[in-house]
Amino acid sequence: MKNLTAIAMAILMIAGISAEAQMSGRQIVEKAYNLPQGKDKTSTLTMTLTNKSGQTRVRKIKQFTKDFGNVEKKIMFFIAPADVKNTSFMNWSYDGDKADDQWIYLPALKRVKRISSDSRSDYFMGSDFTYDDLGDRKLDADTHKLLREETVEGKDCYVVQSIPKDEDYMYSKTITWIRKDNFVGVKKEFYDEDGELLKILHIKKVEKISGFWVITHSEMDNVQKNHKTEIQLSNVKINSGVPASKFSERMMMRGI
Amino acid sequence: MKYRYYLTIILIISTLLGKAQNVDISGFARTYEAVGVKEGNFLMMQQTLNLNFEKRGEKVGFKANPMLYYYGRDSLNLNMREIYLDMYFKNFDLRLGKQQIVWGKADGVFITDVVSPLNLTEFLLPDFDEIRTGVTAAKLDYYIGSASLEAIVIPQFTPTLRPSHNSIWYRQPEFPAPATFDWSQAEVKPSLENSEAFLKYSNMTSKVDFELMGAYTWDDNPVMHIRKLFGVDSSAMPPHPYLKGLNITPRYHRLFLAGGSFSTEIKGFVLRGEAAFYKGKYFQTQDPDAGDAIVQKDYLHYVAGLDFNVGKVKLSTQFIQRYILDYDDYLREREMENTATFMARYDTPGETLHLELFSYLGLDKGDALIRPKITYDFEDGFSLLLGANIFAGDTEGRFGRYEDNSMIYTKIKYSF
Repeated sequence: MKNLTAIAMAILMIAGISAEAQMSGRQIVEKAYNLPQGKDKTSTLTMTLTNKSGQTRVRKIKQFTKDFGNVEKKIMFFIAPADVKNTSFMNWSYDGDKADDQWIYLPALKRVKRISSDSRSDYFMGSDFTYDDLGDRKLDADTHKLLREETVEGKDCYVVQSIPKDEDYMYSKTITWIRKDNFVGVKKEFYDEDGELLKILHIKKVEKISGFWVITHSEMDNVQKNHKTEIQLSNVKINSGVPASKFSERMMMRGI
Repeated sequence: MKYRYYLTIILIISTLLGKAQNVDISGFARTYEAVGVKEGNFLMMQQTLNLNFEKRGEKVGFKANPMLYYYGRDSLNLNMREIYLDMYFKNFDLRLGKQQIVWGKADGVFITDVVSPLNLTEFLLPDFDEIRTGVTAAKLDYYIGSASLEAIVIPQFTPTLRPSHNSIWYRQPEFPAPATFDWSQAEVKPSLENSEAFLKYSNMTSKVDFELMGAYTWDDNPVMHIRKLFGVDSSAMPPHPYLKGLNITPRYHRLFLAGGSFSTEIKGFVLRGEAAFYKGKYFQTQDPDAGDAIVQKDYLHYVAGLDFNVGKVKLSTQFIQRYILDYDDYLREREMENTATFMARYDTPGETLHLELFSYLGLDKGDALIRPKITYDFEDGFSLLLGANIFAGDTEGRFGRYEDNSMIYTKIKYSF
């Protein structure tokens, strides 16, 4: 009996290892993209932008997200700097090929305006993150390939190369280090259209909050411009019951 | 005296509200100087203090927004742009007090956006949030899913503000004979009977956003009731009558309009449209049989616009047409008035430098208002703006007539 159990366990282990080994680049990235996020999330996002002279600028945002099944809705309320205070931004991101819907509320115009979502490669609020970098990129917008496995900062990682299917996209490729144990990213390199290294994303802190992995501290370094952006998440609440009505024109205009 | 009075009021408000718990104080200080291109004279020297006092809770909120404008050496104006109270319920919100209300989808054009009248004392040059004046109103928003129904009652009519006679933006109307004005009837007294009512249904969906609206309002512009005075030229043989003068009585009239607007995205292009049918507006006529030289006509006003990106440049263009129905050749205004707008904007990657070009193009007369500007964010909340307002083209046109007012200007603004 003991022998049988040992053999069964050995088979299971071998099967597990071979299943792991057989994972494609796409499957790894898919797992990373589809990490459980909870039904809804609330957080305060602080971005610190540092230029090559060492001068810093700070942007602060209160954000809410909620998963509605086939659509994920996000609403952001800008708190700082003062000239964008009370501006709000809402994004509805759909499963499949449907383009996102986006609206912006500018308090000076007192009107919610639909804007084109055709600007995923625009930098978000002057930071080193584009909208895509912040997590809105679709899985099949790139072709993913597992390059190798290696250890980074003591963590075993898959190293996956992602090449955009759109040849005119701002990056020629990205290389991502994804932890084997929880499929959370550790590091990501972004290469410009000429194939030169443009930016490096470092994940500095990952916390388990309410049972979900959350990146609470990250830094994007633009190595070509010697400019960096640090993002810190605070006051993170998951599954706190954000109401569906939060993601509406009414709330965009009313504010936090 | 006025200067001290305003400052005292502002200081009292600031002190009281600053001490109050959790009252959010924000705003900006701005200096705005403009120099005429033609003569090099200062066309604008304006210092502005804008204060926002706000508090918002789960069930109630309030906002007070005084603005102080200081001109030249001794002219100070206080404008309470908004002051209102909010009540939030499960399915509806109520806002009472002086407020700015913006409707429609068009940019820089006012078609269904007729609730808050305009301040045209500096033509169309002020920022869009400053060009509208607040109205004292009761506004109810009722929410049904993603849709909302908005009802507004304005007990006190506020007309569009026009440039005064000594303003560089004032243009003296031309009359065939000396004119005398009787302004005694140019007032609409606040009463239930004279109230304005507005209703809007709007919905925001994944496919399209749209609004449907109706309004029983007052025409923001007074109608000129003209009485002709004739004399007899007895020096001629035989003596014959001649136009000796005009008695002009400006008066406001009721106006009904209905319309709607929409915006949707198609493959990265945002398509916008807005239209309104105006019922029974008075127009000036040269028809000798028309009483008071005015006639009622219906008209349509509409716009189609497209927003899109070319690379990192954001572009927006609109075509606007006003069309008078049942037109006759006696009317002083053209049957159709065609205008276009064009906007291009580029933000540098760090968003510290912003380049923008906005233009109104008068398509009938071939005139334009061209507004390039460059803004540099010197520090968070501190911006330096250098811009120009160029009036060009036919001097009979709506924009070309201000050719002498073409200017370059700077605005330095600190937001807090």
